Amino acid sequence: MKNSVKVQRAISNITQGDLAEKIGVSRQTINAIETNKYVPSTVLALKIARLFEKPVEEIFQLEDQD
Amino acid sequence: MKSNFLLPRNFKIIGLILFIPFLILGIMNRYYDLRFSFLKVNTQETAFLHDKNTNFTDEIVLTGLIVSLLMIAFARLKDEDEYIHFLRLESWQWAVIVNFILLLAAIWIFYGESFFDVMVYNMLTIPLLFIIRLHYLLFRSKKAENKKFAL
Repeated sequence: MKNSVKVQRAISNITQGDLAEKIGVSRQTINAIETNKYVPSTVLALKIARLFEKPVEEIFQLEDQD
Repeated sequence: MKSNFLLPRNFKIIGLILFIPFLILGIMNRYYDLRFSFLKVNTQETAFLHDKNTNFTDEIVLTGLIVSLLMIAFARLKDEDEYIHFLRLESWQWAVIVNFILLLAAIWIFYGESFFDVMVYNMLTIPLLFIIRLHYLLFRSKKAENKKFAL
């Protein structure tokens, strides 16, 4: 699964730390998601989508091998 | 996310404070025959206790070591979230696999009396490997994150 969290963050002009604080996780978690080391839970994906006011599919997309 | 089976944060420090003296006691007990005389108990001969003068030093030491390691392993971390929960599960899995690889190797390398030592250490290797692995993964993810920040 790929995601555009980094891009969305750039559009909204917020840091990893800001995003982490707003959705109640650590900065490492955001970094792990952005670098595709960790696939977030549905709850966390929905929280991120809600924060950016975008549908989940716009931020998280399936890849061919999924 | 709410993770189950975790202890409050300060249990990590308590566990560490307990682990060090128990480790020293354990080494003294195993290799220098340290036995506290006040822990010698005259017991009735039962199915479990064949020796009439049982010394409970090693029982106390092993209990202390296991409890303190579990305290360190299950203490909540500063920012315990779902990613750390994921790292925890992965670390337990890693620890179990590595533990059995080491045990299988030890079965073929050590024999007789020295295999007894292997079994003694093997009682503690799973939590020990877990703690090392989890903290290594946390250190690595912190480092990766700091590197990104510098850019």
